[in-house]
Amino acid sequence: MATEAAVKTAPASKQSPDLEDKLKKLRELYADASEISKSALENVIRDLQSGGTATVSAQKKESAGRIGARIGKVSELTAILPLRKGGAKRMRAFFETLHGNIGNQSVDLVGTVHDMRWVFLENDTKLLFASTYDRDWDPYIDDFATKIPDILDLQFGEVEGWPGVRNPAVKDFIVKYQIPAYFWYVASPNLTVVETKRLEKIGKALDEFLDKVG
Amino acid sequence: MPSLQDRLRGKLSSSPATVDLHEIQATVLRYRPEPYYGTHILLHVEDARSGREFLRRLAPHVSSAADWWNATSAWIAVAITYNGLAALGVPKASLQSFPEAFRVGMAGRADQLLDRGENDPKNWGQPFGSGRIHIAISIFSDTEERWRRAMELARLQYHGMSGVDVVEIQDFGGQLGDLNPLGYKDSIGQPAIEGSGVDPLPGQGRPIKACEFIFGYPGEAGVPLAMPEPDVLGRNGTFLGLRKYQSRVGTFNRFLRDNAQTDEDRELLAAKLVGRWRSGAPLTLAPAKDDPALGQDPQRNNDFNYANDPDGKQVPLGCHMRRMNPRDTNMPVLTDVNIHRIIRRSTTYGAPYNPNALSERDDDIPRGLYFLFISAKAMATIEFLQREWINSGDFMALGDERDPIAGLQEEAAAFTIPKQPVRRRIHGIQTFNVLRGGEYFFMPSLSALRWLTDLKG
Repeated sequence: MATEAAVKTAPASKQSPDLEDKLKKLRELYADASEISKSALENVIRDLQSGGTATVSAQKKESAGRIGARIGKVSELTAILPLRKGGAKRMRAFFETLHGNIGNQSVDLVGTVHDMRWVFLENDTKLLFASTYDRDWDPYIDDFATKIPDILDLQFGEVEGWPGVRNPAVKDFIVKYQIPAYFWYVASPNLTVVETKRLEKIGKALDEFLDKVG
Repeated sequence: MPSLQDRLRGKLSSSPATVDLHEIQATVLRYRPEPYYGTHILLHVEDARSGREFLRRLAPHVSSAADWWNATSAWIAVAITYNGLAALGVPKASLQSFPEAFRVGMAGRADQLLDRGENDPKNWGQPFGSGRIHIAISIFSDTEERWRRAMELARLQYHGMSGVDVVEIQDFGGQLGDLNPLGYKDSIGQPAIEGSGVDPLPGQGRPIKACEFIFGYPGEAGVPLAMPEPDVLGRNGTFLGLRKYQSRVGTFNRFLRDNAQTDEDRELLAAKLVGRWRSGAPLTLAPAKDDPALGQDPQRNNDFNYANDPDGKQVPLGCHMRRMNPRDTNMPVLTDVNIHRIIRRSTTYGAPYNPNALSERDDDIPRGLYFLFISAKAMATIEFLQREWINSGDFMALGDERDPIAGLQEEAAAFTIPKQPVRRRIHGIQTFNVLRGGEYFFMPSLSALRWLTDLKG
């Protein structure tokens, strides 16, 4: 797995003709852009050529299993799903009443989910679901099905046609609505949720130790 | 041969068998004999009619799992790859009912299995990865004589038949003390299967739903697993995976010597890598030194959990045994340990373990494992194991550490041994078992075998 840190690129004057070519094409495309975009683009290119902020990340964007993007050990899932009539209202009530406690506790147990977002769109007829998680989700869906099926079914049960998390068809169902992110930024691509918690613990213990000796 | 019943000194209690033992092949439920001898024969079917004729002749000699806990004879098992099913003339609709991972074969799933670098299928030996393996015949026996007789019986069924060719033949077992190529007693601790006719052995845990291992029964999620069609082909069948490993005995022995001062320390390190001493005695029950009597005793050698060892001070969190069956370990990643189990029928081939082999040349002496695993979802399970439990450490909060026995180690890999006051981290652990081949097979029921022989065209 590619885990190289960001590397400093050489000034643009020594850049490959490839980049020059790309910048030329970019300028052509932006000929019809707004004045704000155009001016911003020129500023950024100038910065790049003066070497000021000319760093590019060598961390490769890969595929997260079947679909979705992955950078390092972290993956993204973005989906727009149709909702049943009145579904958004029921889901709001569910989140309000139950997710803050038992729902969050269940997701804590999962141990691979960095964040999850539910956004209601188009007059409550659609759901935008977005999540950042570690590695692959589909190997674990069977574990969710035996360990926390009800929470999953409450999180998604109001999606039109949701087959239920115990149904083997559920993986295909999710993939059908998934839209891979075109571009994605991750600050700590090698920090899984488990690793983050471990480092948090070590940091605290180290502080306690230093407090005692200091 | 002592049956399982005998080995347990009659302490095995029976419970009603709700799976059809007369239909299921013996290998699914019978434990590997002690001692064991056997052969894997891999065949290529050039001509569908010859292939079916061979199976028709072989079928009466393929053993069922009936009375498996009392069984004492040698047995013959048969399993067929996707290419094999196609070569035998299985109709297209039926072929399409098999899972994709089975259809493309193990080499085709190298990405999902993380079979990269040294383990990449392009480094495998023939005939693996070529698509030419169609049928696997395996003979298991407890004596050399019965093995040779069963072997001859199997051979007679394809001998001289045009259109059925042997592409690989590998004898296994016959090792002093049934030790594996790295010098350990192996294949201890199998999953208990609901309705298989016997109660769980001490430490086996609750019986796991039969459909995890055999098609046509309830699964752990309460929903039956989709099974290959038609019903007669799928029911009572299962999948068998094979992974052929070459053991780098020189590298393994050097690692032990480089990281231990005395013979005792070396053996303790060897035990920490696996979680069991060479004899099979688990570190939980024998924390300080080996206890061969315990290792030998199937009533006791698996009867433990990790309630008093949450941090791995006895059995390291990252050792082979605890990774492959975390039991009651409190893991930071939500996991149902009962849905990632496999039945293992590990078969050691080649030169026996030599504790004094230290050179790189010793790494290349043919010896290793034909590791067989059985599950109704064998492909999904081995992909999970390879990705999550073998070649990652995250599920045990071990970062990038990998399984010390089955893992593909990266440069500067480490292995952590928890202890007081501070853990010991050993750097520079190498890949001790290199993948040299692999394939997925369908292991049909006895009725399915007859259905296959009756195909037309």
